[in-house]
Amino acid sequence: MIVAAVLAGYAALAATLGAAALRRAAWPQRAPALGVAAWQALSISSVLAVVLAGLALAVPTNVVAAGLAELLQACLWALRAEYGPIGGPLLGAVGVTVAAGVTGRATALIVRELAGAARRRRRHQALLALVARHDSRLGALVVPHQVAAAYCLPGGCRQVVLTSAALAALDDEQLASVLAHEHAHLRGRHHLAVGAATGLRRAFPGVPVFRHAAEQIAGLIEMLADDAAVAHADRHSHAAALVALAEGAAPSPALAAGGPQALARVRRLLAPHQPLGVLHRAAAALVVVVLVALPIAVAIAPALVAAQSPYCPVDLTALS
Amino acid sequence: MRQLGELEATVMDRVWSWDRPTSVREVLDDLRRERDLAYTTVMTVMDNLHRKGVLTRERDGRAYRYRPVTSREEHTAQLMEAALPGVGDRTATLLRLVDRLRPNEVAALRKALDAAKRGKGAAR
Repeated sequence: MIVAAVLAGYAALAATLGAAALRRAAWPQRAPALGVAAWQALSISSVLAVVLAGLALAVPTNVVAAGLAELLQACLWALRAEYGPIGGPLLGAVGVTVAAGVTGRATALIVRELAGAARRRRRHQALLALVARHDSRLGALVVPHQVAAAYCLPGGCRQVVLTSAALAALDDEQLASVLAHEHAHLRGRHHLAVGAATGLRRAFPGVPVFRHAAEQIAGLIEMLADDAAVAHADRHSHAAALVALAEGAAPSPALAAGGPQALARVRRLLAPHQPLGVLHRAAAALVVVVLVALPIAVAIAPALVAAQSPYCPVDLTALS
Repeated sequence: MRQLGELEATVMDRVWSWDRPTSVREVLDDLRRERDLAYTTVMTVMDNLHRKGVLTRERDGRAYRYRPVTSREEHTAQLMEAALPGVGDRTATLLRLVDRLRPNEVAALRKALDAAKRGKGAAR
């Protein structure tokens, strides 16, 4: 009971205050790959804590406790004492249901999102093939259209797509950095990070950590690809390419606000490059590891303590 | 499979530019001036395009007459519209370089860029 309560409390804090703190942090923009990892770790940590809380509720029940005691060669009594008073089989069943339900729902919606995206992508590609021509010099599909757009179809399709208006809006240097940006997405399989985060957001709508993670990861992979694009190009030129494409993309007042993220990217390119230092990187990596390890440690620590327990005051047969 | 895909584009090119109900025979006769194709191949391709919802057809005697559902421009516009929605409906389907934004947001981007350019010019 105590372990379950601690884990549930941790999950609630991580999913709300933890997410709010990470969203306010400035460092992810300076190390986008680590930023993506941090959001993924916080998401996994929140889910894991709930699942383990459910399982911890089941530990004091007779069947689980006896099996676990045998496995750990621990005292059944000590094990029960560590996980708190017996909640009875009903509470145990509730715990197992929560654990299985959360795991199942998260997995199902992530798989559905990734599979749905792959299906929509193949359909889009098939319809695109009717009007686009392949430009072998660019290694991209070019679509005759008056609205500027540059995007990639990741996964099995692995295709960069540009409209004729986008080509017209960019000079050679900008075109090269735009293509490098898209290839970075394809190489890094960024769609998997976006798909998993979107799936989690759909699985548990309204939970702050999943909503923010989906938003922030989508922005951070763009910064990641921007960094790859400017490795061999001028930062200002790439920023100018982004602005030119935004201007050519048929802006409309009816759209949802997206400016802060786009503006953050452009400002980041225009400001001097400030990658995160080695020490800060190490600290951020440590946070990522701790986030995932913490719920696991909380869940198994009492079992380890029980296994170390030197005495066993009661007759085991009396308990079962 | 790839060749069938290319053939689909070639067939649509003809059907779109003719802009009238067309039979498999008419398309075949036109394509045969460039390469040797079987009637069944073109029939399969046009049947596929019908299943994909790009062509509609109506019976005319023993054969069908096919018509494009939309014009070429409309097809492209719908496709790009689907590819470039706003920020809210993001999925893992495709990754866009920049989202479609509101006019005032685009103006803010331009302002930031121009200010940086002036700063760069002044520094020289």
